[in-house]
Amino acid sequence: MALKGLDIFKLTPKTNCKECGSPTCMAFSMKVAQGAVDITKCPHMSEDALATLSEATAPPMKTIKVGSGDAECTLGGETVLFRHEKTFVSRPRYAVSVSCCEADMDAKFEAAKLVDYDRIGERMHVEMLYLNYCGQCDAAGYAEFVKKAAETGRVLVLGCTDVDVAKAALDVCKDAKPILDGANAGNYEAMSKLATEAGVVLGVSGADINELYDTVAAIEKLGNKNLVINVGTASIKDAFANTVQIRRAALKNTDRTFGYPTIVNVGRLAAGNGALQAALASLFTVKYGSIIVMENMNYAQALPLYGLRQNVFTDPQKPMKVEPGIYPLNGGDENSVCLTTVDFALTYFVVSGELERSGVPCNLVISDAGGLSVLTAWAAGKLSSTSVSKYIIENVEPKVKSRKLIIPGKVAVLKGDIEAKLPGWEVIVAPNEAVQLVKFLKDMQANGEI
Amino acid sequence: MPFNGKSGKFNAAIRTVEIGTGDKAVKLGGENVLPFYTFDAPIENAPKVGVMITDLSLEEMENEAAGIKEYYAGATSFAELAKKAEAMPGADFVVLRLEGADPNGRDKSVEDCVAVAKEVGDAITAPLVIEGCKNVEKDAELFAKVAEALQGKNVLILSAREENYKGVAAAAGLAYGQKVGAESAVDINLAKQLNVLIGQLGVDQANVVMNVGSAAAGYGFEYVVSTMDRIKAAALSQNDAQLQMPIITPVAEEAWGVKEAMASEADMPEWGSQEERGIDMEVETAAAVLASGSNAVILKHPTSVATISTLIKELV
Amino acid sequence: MAKFVVIGERLSTTAPAINRAFTSRDPEPILKRAKEQLDAGATYLDVNIGPAENDGPELMKWAVELLQGNFDNVPLALDTANKAAIEAGISVYNRSKGKPIVNSADAAGRIEYIDLAAANDAIVIALCNGEGIAKDNDERMAYCQTMLERGMEHGMEPTDMWFDPLFLVIKGMQDKQEQILECIKMISDMELNSTGGLSNNSNGMPKHIRPIMDSAMVAMAMQCGLTSAIVNPCDLRLMETIKSCDIIKNNTLYADSYLEL
Repeated sequence: MALKGLDIFKLTPKTNCKECGSPTCMAFSMKVAQGAVDITKCPHMSEDALATLSEATAPPMKTIKVGSGDAECTLGGETVLFRHEKTFVSRPRYAVSVSCCEADMDAKFEAAKLVDYDRIGERMHVEMLYLNYCGQCDAAGYAEFVKKAAETGRVLVLGCTDVDVAKAALDVCKDAKPILDGANAGNYEAMSKLATEAGVVLGVSGADINELYDTVAAIEKLGNKNLVINVGTASIKDAFANTVQIRRAALKNTDRTFGYPTIVNVGRLAAGNGALQAALASLFTVKYGSIIVMENMNYAQALPLYGLRQNVFTDPQKPMKVEPGIYPLNGGDENSVCLTTVDFALTYFVVSGELERSGVPCNLVISDAGGLSVLTAWAAGKLSSTSVSKYIIENVEPKVKSRKLIIPGKVAVLKGDIEAKLPGWEVIVAPNEAVQLVKFLKDMQANGEI
Repeated sequence: MPFNGKSGKFNAAIRTVEIGTGDKAVKLGGENVLPFYTFDAPIENAPKVGVMITDLSLEEMENEAAGIKEYYAGATSFAELAKKAEAMPGADFVVLRLEGADPNGRDKSVEDCVAVAKEVGDAITAPLVIEGCKNVEKDAELFAKVAEALQGKNVLILSAREENYKGVAAAAGLAYGQKVGAESAVDINLAKQLNVLIGQLGVDQANVVMNVGSAAAGYGFEYVVSTMDRIKAAALSQNDAQLQMPIITPVAEEAWGVKEAMASEADMPEWGSQEERGIDMEVETAAAVLASGSNAVILKHPTSVATISTLIKELV
Repeated sequence: MAKFVVIGERLSTTAPAINRAFTSRDPEPILKRAKEQLDAGATYLDVNIGPAENDGPELMKWAVELLQGNFDNVPLALDTANKAAIEAGISVYNRSKGKPIVNSADAAGRIEYIDLAAANDAIVIALCNGEGIAKDNDERMAYCQTMLERGMEHGMEPTDMWFDPLFLVIKGMQDKQEQILECIKMISDMELNSTGGLSNNSNGMPKHIRPIMDSAMVAMAMQCGLTSAIVNPCDLRLMETIKSCDIIKNNTLYADSYLEL
């Protein structure tokens, strides 16, 4: 993060001694801020001032890595509060919670694996398991439970404030880089030592935001900056307030004590209420949760949630693209009519959604158009009669017998050229808007045209 | 050193717009903080939840999810339907969507639609919001008549668009004293321009509510988030008076119209209950638009209404 | 970034009609000219009562109450060499629409105006000069630093000090114009605010030229980071340029009707 000239100026001696080569301390500060001059050119900077400056140049929010191998996840590292300002870098991760003395834990582990699908090139699944320690089981029992959980291959979060029990659990899973979510105002010294020795990230809890702040500061003083912050489960209101204030303190007010990712346990905030958990998961996906813990994750909850996450965490500079290919819809086969559009994900979703609503069997043909919308792609030369015909000849003709191709209404002008380049094909122009496709296709079907 | 949580309270505020009359009238907007940031300053008017019925609800109830059918079971008139909608736990207002007016659909006459609106308006004491059929010409005609028929009820007409704002805003906002919805589709410059134009017609800006567009979660929702984030930033931190109108977002139509909510269990067995999928799509989309700045959402399933109303109560 | 702040300059004793109105406490011409400026898009109004050695405090109070009472607590810049008059003005000032601006301090004889602003939680316009006009930007920035330190010592937010590079007249000092722009850039690089009597640049030019030159100057100065100017808001070309620059700099959100707002 760049330092502001004014912040540097405040730390200079303000004597205008000119020994640095600049006429004034202010001019010197500006040059330092621009990176044109090194701060050490000033012989009168105090040690404290230099330390403050080096702290100030650190990123506002730490990037924390958890898990190992394929399961490794990156958390935090954000630099902005709103996605239009730049881009969000680390999407939140979803966890399902399981308790050590739950009777049907095997079933729960299995259930956590239920949701697993691909959406525009991204694997959507429950990435983490939050493993509650009940407070009653012995250390060996909890460790046994953790070991079993580790077999799922998910990143583990050990929700355990008992140091001895946590130690036993870390002994069996520390190589997989779990999170030890167990530090609080009462035990942080021992917990921090344990986490540091095991080389794992430590989760910090507090009764309220002030205790959280003090505890994080105290742990940092011990030299441990490999942390996540648990925003607590006192109430939905407090959890939201803490999550927002922590992120805002770090990014807007550059208070690095709060520059860590957060854990939000919505499963506990809305125990037993799956719909409310879904609402909360959505809320914390939009507003600053890093790890979101649910009681369960079924497809109903997951489909909108992962879609939302994918939307909000896309890079505003880079459009989302779907893979080129032939997508059969409504039981479309080699005899079904072909429709083509661009690979811009939003266009694909809107068009495929309308096609599905029509119920008419068809093949949606997507060729590479640079991830742009129809008109933009056409204007940029990425959706042309050449690109469409080439893709059809190379990829569609070998697989599909139908020789009817419907093109987007907005590029009706391409009809003649495509027909010229695709002998044997009938090119049909679709309506301008996707919503009109349902009626368009149904009418064609009714008239026996397809 | 203790935590110094600097307040993010703004000097500017969203305007307060009241819809409905009497004890059940609701106030939208008024806050000088970002959505649900009650730790910065109190939010006097919590976001509100509307329950949507349509002029086709009676005939097409069959197609609705089981929970909706069950809730409205026994209702044989629009008046009964509306009374049930208003009594739904968590409901703050009722939304009547006149989708049957669509010339490309049922093409119901303006008179028929006005009669339904009148029946609904007379049956309830909760505030009423009227949605059209999205055909700009038909809506212009329809809204003028509905606004006239419902004079004195302070309803919100949803909405005036770039193509028909002159007629709609003049009828609703000037001639018949209703509230005007200004609709744009995730286009922040148009959202502002439409407010300016409606203001230039002479409609008091304190009578305007915006619908800045929506999408179901997963369907380009990033545009919705950024549009709302930027509108709130302009309204609150730049004190842009042309964007200080409260925002209302119809969620039900979007949420129940996507594949996740529409694919049958036979087609997608691994996805599980279709009804639950619809509810969660509705609930998660609503939570996300509220988190981004909506002052009101329009939903239809009783579980969604109850859930979002609980969420709002917990947060404000 | 925040919208460019236009401070309307037309309530000044240098205009004979206004001078007479101040002297005779005649509200009519003052209100008329204030309204013209506000309608044209001014945010702040500068109230220049001159040296006002005899009745400064009483006159400034009268002017502040007159203007704020008639125009919904319009924010004002209190412009006089009489310190007591500024204090008197602030004592009756309503800050609901913005802090009062003390116009102005410099790094020499008028440095105490900074103390005055700090004591009253006001904004201060800080002229980057000492005794006489600064010869180069090193000197300007030295003055800037002196005043910044003074303000911070007295507990001011640095952003409440609006530094004035002192615009120079082109006819005679054409070769210095780039220096002024560079000075604005330096102030902006320090994330500080700036303002100034921008139309001084076109002094002595034919009347039809001045709006053109002023518009060009404001555009270039805004690109360098100028955050405010003391100008004639009734100059339509100038105001349209400022509004357009505000759009380009993303200070306000574009809408087709942006010039009418």
